[in-house]
Amino acid sequence: MMARSDCFVSVTAPLYNDGDIVEAYIEDVLGVLKREYANYELVLVDDGSTDDTVERVTALLEKLECIRLIRLSRRFGQETAVSAGLDTVIGDFVVVMIPDRDPPELIPRIVEQCRKGLGIVFGIRRHRRDEPLFLRIGARAFYWYLNRILKVNLPRNSTDFRVFSRQALNAMIRIKDRLRYLRAFCAYVGYGNESFTYDLAHRREKPRVKGLGEAMRTGARMIVANSTHPLRMVSVLGLTMSFVSLLHIGYVILVYLFDKDVVPGWATRSMHSSVMFLFMFLILSTLCEYVGRLLGEVKDRPLYYVLEERNSTVLLADEDRKNVVTETTED
Amino acid sequence: MAHSPDYDTIIVGGGFFGCCLAVHLKQALGRRVVVLEMESELLRRASYVNQARVHNGYHYPRSLLTALRCRVNFPRFVEDYSDCIVKDFDKYYAIGTTFSKVTASQYLRFFERVGSPLGPAPKEVKRLFNADLIEDVFAATEYVFDAVKLAQIMRHRLAEAGVEIRFSTEAQKVHRVEGSLLEVTCAAPDGACTVTAPSVLNCTYSRLNQLLVASGLPKLYLKYELTECAFIEPPDELKHLGITVMCGPFFSIMPFPPLGLHNMTHVRYTPHCEWWDKADGSYRDPYEYCRVARKKSNQICMIKDIARYLPCMSKCRYVDSIWDIKVVLPKSEVDDSRPVLYRSDCGLPNLTCLMGGKIDNIYDIIEHEDASYAQGTA
Repeated sequence: MMARSDCFVSVTAPLYNDGDIVEAYIEDVLGVLKREYANYELVLVDDGSTDDTVERVTALLEKLECIRLIRLSRRFGQETAVSAGLDTVIGDFVVVMIPDRDPPELIPRIVEQCRKGLGIVFGIRRHRRDEPLFLRIGARAFYWYLNRILKVNLPRNSTDFRVFSRQALNAMIRIKDRLRYLRAFCAYVGYGNESFTYDLAHRREKPRVKGLGEAMRTGARMIVANSTHPLRMVSVLGLTMSFVSLLHIGYVILVYLFDKDVVPGWATRSMHSSVMFLFMFLILSTLCEYVGRLLGEVKDRPLYYVLEERNSTVLLADEDRKNVVTETTED
Repeated sequence: MAHSPDYDTIIVGGGFFGCCLAVHLKQALGRRVVVLEMESELLRRASYVNQARVHNGYHYPRSLLTALRCRVNFPRFVEDYSDCIVKDFDKYYAIGTTFSKVTASQYLRFFERVGSPLGPAPKEVKRLFNADLIEDVFAATEYVFDAVKLAQIMRHRLAEAGVEIRFSTEAQKVHRVEGSLLEVTCAAPDGACTVTAPSVLNCTYSRLNQLLVASGLPKLYLKYELTECAFIEPPDELKHLGITVMCGPFFSIMPFPPLGLHNMTHVRYTPHCEWWDKADGSYRDPYEYCRVARKKSNQICMIKDIARYLPCMSKCRYVDSIWDIKVVLPKSEVDDSRPVLYRSDCGLPNLTCLMGGKIDNIYDIIEHEDASYAQGTA
């Protein structure tokens, strides 16, 4: 057996209504960590679950060591829950993973890759075959737009499964943007950004899939938070339309001056107004997005609130002296 | 057959509280007192294995009563035990940002109300902290005591008062003999012995229930924690500083005079495990558990976490850890207060159990003891 590595590894995972899989997940992760590392911790962030996730984890805290459970005060969303975890982990290397689909067996390999690299290693899923068609097409369009047009370097099919060195993590957690999007933050801070390809290992027979609406919302927010490209596009569009409008005015003046019998052109007029309104509202709606974003960023309120923290409390006697523990009863 | 008692009061446990009460009972009330101590020295367990902090209230920003009592008792303790008080360091309280239960402004306002002075920390001290994780830093007035010197003081005072101490003597059982006389059965180096007195004070901290259970008396409801006090040689920047970060899963680094090192404790990593005494159900001897428990130090976790807040701490050198059992009264789990337990007639008349979490609680206990004595004689 290989000697256990002496670096401190933290694993953090967000939980939301994961009562059905959380026990198996914890056991798998701790099995790997215990085998490979002398020092480790598993930080679970409960994102306001409404099922028995917290009870199940709490029961395990008395049996298994090195687990911490951070409970957020309500549901803040997966990305924020991950941020809360990253704010409190203490390891030299920190692994972020999503419990229901990222395989714990890969942890040693990717931590090793991160150790040799510059600071960030992220996962790329081999395929999206397990997703419905609309998501696959949407994802393709999204990544194309992001990478080609917006020049945000977000590798296609990258997942949240990733490893940070302490240095890279410290850089990351200084980003205080309200809108959390871990993958984009990673791209922004740099530190190597190496990737590894893997197959998702779903713990549920029917994996949870994002709805189309949620996927589009995330996509839109993501674009707005990371690029001013759409804003620039509409300003260009606005300028073009103003120019067209200017030409039209010139045309009207010329007609007025040189054509003696002007027929009142209702069709042209209404055509003109409606085209202008179309673009005006397009521009306005984009501006709204940005104004909303600015408002969100300007509000200086905490990203999340912690309800409580629970830690492992395992009664353990020295194995060779186990028999001497006195357990007397009252009577 | 009339049996005359050996003493007026038997004090079980030669920790700080037991010693103080012995001196007080002897000097102020002229009672014949004996102290039964299972170790060969005084103040070896909870009085030693602890942060040597003399509280001035700064630790309790969420309990006005506890903070106020600390502020009142602080100058008394510093004066009464001045020979063991160490003041040659600067004490700072820092407030964490994300996981703290109080904000810096609340903290400041709270101690304005309590009347404990807090000043701004100098720039060079503030610079030691990671500004992303620490909201603000305040200079506070707080000292530590040298537990070894304190033991000497207590030994001296007990001798002066003429209190008898029996070392290496473990009080094992207490039961009522005739009338209201209590008899304590002890295991001593020269075999078992018994002592009798009309009243017994049980000052054994984590072992309060041991005596009760062995005597077949009802237990108190207590919570226990196996705790680790780590000792470090701090980096030069922190040599003359004591630092505590409030108020959540944070830490404290304080000078520990008996060893010339700093004592490092962490809210998350100092307690290793916990258990409760239930009103019914099994009982676990805390000393025995402390002896056999697997003691895998959390020092790496402590240092890693602390270095996030205080980057220079990554240069500290870990020396050793000492372990003991801490007792928490169930009430103080909820609200941060640190009440003192004083329970008379614990299953037997005049068998009193008392316990406090902080060394300066002694004044509260003595006042209470006097009051109940006055009531008893009235």
